Amino acid sequence: MITYTIKKNQSKKIELTKPGQYTVELVGEGAEALVSGVFQTKDKETIATEILIHHKSPHTSAKTTLKGVARDQSYLRFKGKIIIDEHCGDTRSFLTERVLLLSPQAKAEAVPDLEIKTSDVSCSHAASVSNIPEEHIFYLQARGLDRRKAEEIIVEGFLTVSN
Amino acid sequence: MARFAAKKTSKPGDSLIRDDYEHGYSFDTDSYEFKSGKGLTEKIIHQLSRMKNEPKWMLETRLRAFGEFQARPNPMWGGDLSPIKFDDISYYLKPTEKVVKSWADVPKDVKETFDRIGVPKAERKFLAGVKAQYDSEVVYGSLKSTWVKDGVIFLSMDEGLAKYPDLVKEYFGSVIPLNDNKYAALNTAVWSGGSFVYVPKNVHVKMPLQTYFRINAEAFGQFERTLIIVDEGASVHYIEGCTAPQFNSTSLHSAVVEIIVKKGARCQYTTVQNWYKNIYNLVTKRAHVSEEGQMVWTDFNMGSKVTMKYPSFILAGKGAKGETLSMALAGEGQHQDTGSKATHLAPYTSSTIIAKSISKGGGRTSYRGKVFISPNAHHSKNTVVCDALLLDDKSRSDTYPVDQVYNNQVEIQHEATVSKIGDDQLFYLMTRGMSEENSRKMIVNGFIADLVKKLPLEYAVEMNRLIDFEMEGSIG
Repeated sequence: MITYTIKKNQSKKIELTKPGQYTVELVGEGAEALVSGVFQTKDKETIATEILIHHKSPHTSAKTTLKGVARDQSYLRFKGKIIIDEHCGDTRSFLTERVLLLSPQAKAEAVPDLEIKTSDVSCSHAASVSNIPEEHIFYLQARGLDRRKAEEIIVEGFLTVSN
Repeated sequence: MARFAAKKTSKPGDSLIRDDYEHGYSFDTDSYEFKSGKGLTEKIIHQLSRMKNEPKWMLETRLRAFGEFQARPNPMWGGDLSPIKFDDISYYLKPTEKVVKSWADVPKDVKETFDRIGVPKAERKFLAGVKAQYDSEVVYGSLKSTWVKDGVIFLSMDEGLAKYPDLVKEYFGSVIPLNDNKYAALNTAVWSGGSFVYVPKNVHVKMPLQTYFRINAEAFGQFERTLIIVDEGASVHYIEGCTAPQFNSTSLHSAVVEIIVKKGARCQYTTVQNWYKNIYNLVTKRAHVSEEGQMVWTDFNMGSKVTMKYPSFILAGKGAKGETLSMALAGEGQHQDTGSKATHLAPYTSSTIIAKSISKGGGRTSYRGKVFISPNAHHSKNTVVCDALLLDDKSRSDTYPVDQVYNNQVEIQHEATVSKIGDDQLFYLMTRGMSEENSRKMIVNGFIADLVKKLPLEYAVEMNRLIDFEMEGSIG
């Protein structure tokens, strides 16, 4: 378990490179966190990433983006949670979990939890699991790319996080 | 006149929760046909089964379920269930001798209760059939002759077991086994009342069937059991409504609802739950949907102290569809732990879950859901949308979704937002001359509008009225 503590008026970019358990605590007013993580699995790998974004102070904000691509028979798990404590007004927090399954045997689990104990917040999460839509591949193939290359470009684009 | 609206337009006070619950009256239970006394033992189950003249297999099922109930601990997640005192609850209260077909034959107290709720009037106006359950037993039942002619069966579960034992034996516990969870086991052990519905092939029951559940006694457990079988190509809309009197001691309502939707059939199940705030409402509801079938749950939870209810569907046939529309409102001291479960077992299945919740005055709402896509369920789609509205700083909202995906030819989406009534939204409406209270009501009604639209008109009107009623005086 790795814990990042973000203090008053501090802004921090966190890039997660390894799977595991992470906690991000926003403890001072004006604290800001931009968290991103990109994961790829293949063969029979199983990887799990758990992240907790804990808002302990008012006027804090966080944006968390987890993306993953699972190939072959691999298993990819994302577990994200946002907690906003009591009396933490004017808080913004967003959590996104997106998974692309590239083989019929690839599996994924996405759990985006929210626990909100203050009303003056703007908080949301989104999760999606899918394969590459056939139309996207068709679009690129129509422009002269072969299937493999088309997939490659789409995956590359998918994994780019713009924070 | 101030040029700008104040940034903080209101401070919700303690007056948020109304003490006057309109269904809070009760009648005494002296005239009851039978009372089991407090607590639950095997002896009571034997006695209950004998009084109901049940076949042997049902008694055996009940006893096995009772064992499961005793062996299982309370769930560690969800609402706080520790205040339930199983030994202080009466498990079986039989108010009348038998089910009658005319309101004139219903005992005076019971009739007055249902009159005040408005059941006979609704029956005349827009329902195909009505059942009224008072404590443990169904006391009144009717079904319009058109549907009787088509072969539709709408009975209390007890009558269903007596008249169609083979059908009941085939499906009873087939969707929700007796050891599914602690409260499903308890229900299986002491079930009484509930509805048995069978819609024959290609019959469309165009008006809703309704059952009305009323708890009258204090410290009582109501355990109705419902089984709905919609045969191939048929359709039905079933509605249940619930209220209870105002008592200090807690009561328990633990129902099991099993629905079988066959090929190309459609079933909509609507719940308007408005229990008094001392009831623990722990319900298991599940539908098994075959090829091209469709199941729709519309679930409105306003009352009760703790509700734990996750209507679910098993999409077992190719092209089956499921939909859950869930609305929860939690006020002071209430915890609405609701959600839905979508299990996709077959290809080309699709499901939608839309959950909206409102928390106020320190209430807590939770969305808890699970989407499971099996390796077989290629080309399946699922969308989950949960929106929560927090009306003050004391309240709480949680979202606990799980998506498990074991196939890649799928589209799974989940979205959730939590917000308050925006000052800019209030400002917009108030500049157009509306009072703050009316603006708030309008925003809340707008928030749940797409769900309310799915209700039959009479209920939609009632729902909007109830929301207005709950929002009254929510400005300090």
